[in-house]
Amino acid sequence: MTDRQFIVQALESALSDVLERDIAGLADDVRLFDDLHLDSTTMLELLMALEDTIDLVVDPETLDIEDFASVGTFTDFVLATRGGIAATA
Amino acid sequence: MTAPGTPPAPALLHEILDRAAELRPDRPALSQGELTLNYREFATSARRLAGRLRAAGVGRGDRVVAAAPSGPALAVLVYAASRLGAAYTLLHEQVHGAPLLHVLDDCEPRLLITEDAADRAAAGERAIAVLPLSELVEAAFPPPGSGPADPADPADLADPSGEPPASGVLAVDPVSLIYTSGTTALPKAVVSTHQQVLFAARAIQSVLGYRADDVVYCPLPLSFDYGLYQVHLSVLSGAHLWLGLPNEAGPLLLRRLAATGATVLPGVPSATEGLAWLLRRSANKLPALRLLTNTGAALSTETIAALRASLPNLRVQVMYGLTECKRATVMPPDGDLARPGSCGLPLPGTEVLAVDEDGAAVPPGEIGQLVVRGPHVMAGYWRRPELDAERFRRRDGLFPELWTGDYGWLDEDGFVYFSGRRDDLYKENGFRLSATEVEAAAHRVPGVVSAAVLPPEGRRPSVLAVVGRIEAAEALELMREQIEVYKIPRRCVVLDALPLSANGKVDRRRLAVLVAEVAA
Repeated sequence: MTDRQFIVQALESALSDVLERDIAGLADDVRLFDDLHLDSTTMLELLMALEDTIDLVVDPETLDIEDFASVGTFTDFVLATRGGIAATA
Repeated sequence: MTAPGTPPAPALLHEILDRAAELRPDRPALSQGELTLNYREFATSARRLAGRLRAAGVGRGDRVVAAAPSGPALAVLVYAASRLGAAYTLLHEQVHGAPLLHVLDDCEPRLLITEDAADRAAAGERAIAVLPLSELVEAAFPPPGSGPADPADPADLADPSGEPPASGVLAVDPVSLIYTSGTTALPKAVVSTHQQVLFAARAIQSVLGYRADDVVYCPLPLSFDYGLYQVHLSVLSGAHLWLGLPNEAGPLLLRRLAATGATVLPGVPSATEGLAWLLRRSANKLPALRLLTNTGAALSTETIAALRASLPNLRVQVMYGLTECKRATVMPPDGDLARPGSCGLPLPGTEVLAVDEDGAAVPPGEIGQLVVRGPHVMAGYWRRPELDAERFRRRDGLFPELWTGDYGWLDEDGFVYFSGRRDDLYKENGFRLSATEVEAAAHRVPGVVSAAVLPPEGRRPSVLAVVGRIEAAEALELMREQIEVYKIPRRCVVLDALPLSANGKVDRRRLAVLVAEVAA
């Protein structure tokens, strides 16, 4: 499994918890707000869930709305964020 | 109005905006995204839009309904409608179809503002004039060059639209219809007059003390009256109000507060809990933020403590209110530290009583229905005489008072403690208990982030559901330090999150399903 597949799987699992319905088979172009109907509250819950499951540590000062546009941009964001942690670890 | 000396205090809602434009024309008033209006531009836009509404047939005694995303154009609409003596209704952008038709048939507006083509057609069938939101925005903020003259020109401020001077509008005329749900199957409108709104706004301002150098960041839409009153409070104080976009809350809230230099945050528990989480992960401790207010539901002691630990300059003011009087009580800054669980004191010039079924005040410490008296008690419900008789009662047949349907008690010093709504009361082992009261106690348990009580049903006893880093047995044990033992549910389950309904309240039906699953 690639890092990317691992992140998407963690994302699907976290989304299933947050949205209380099964989320699977997410494609990169699925939009988080418009297609999955996340809102600002559930988006924050998603970050909280990922912090618990994959040790994602967010920096609230660098979060950007562009990161939350789609499954693809969000996966890029998680990879970059965790990569940064790994590099400094 | 042009006489020398101190002008009389504004008696009509839009006059507070005109006054602000005279006092501080060049100060920033209202922002969203890339747009910022100063007070001169805000007032000019309201006059201009009043002209556009007039052209659409709106006049004194009419009603105007807008169902649209929150933004500066809606804030302008409020003051434009006021100028004409018309009453405004702001609905959440998601209100369309059947719920919108209910509003249209209920209040029979002259004008509907919406982007939704199907809703515009339905309004047309009812002979209601329609205006797309885009035209409202264009009328309020015409593109440069197309508007009448330079907004800096004082003559433009005086009369940019050819609108006749607002004449004949009285302080006792209606200025708003705010739709609320609860206890009734369909939403009903609370009607407010200019006089009532101005009294409420000034009384709230007198205890919150917004300042001319404040930057207020409002994450709530203007369709919530808590959001809408941020406009009035900012205009009264000369503060700069930022209207948040929906996607700027949640994870981005901290960044937005930092970027706007916010000094005041009107919060609700979900936003405030999110902010506390973000602050624990941030090096930026928002040094400018000086005041957080809370309403809607109780904040957990743990969340307030976390915020205070992160933000040493922050003062917290918890509040209680309902649309029927806008705001009933406000706690003095940080008064929650000395009186945890209280929602503060009645607004100056008003009172709150706890009464028995006959309307007699009960002694301090005893629970009764909370009754509110004062000039902020609104006019009543639109065309709901039976509901008026229940809630907007008249003592001795003459003197208006609001029977809130909420229960609580007062301490010896008059501080009010909310203990629950009537429908939150349940009986167990012979005791009459309040789910809200038990939940408030659970919120005070260290480690508990949020909590909800499921009242007993059939053979199942009451259950406490908590979210937080805590074990169920430990939560029940620590509850004993917070509340009488007989009030503590026997069972506790720890959940990842509480299921919420569309309007952000705990969905007890889904919670019951979740709790049953944990038991299985």
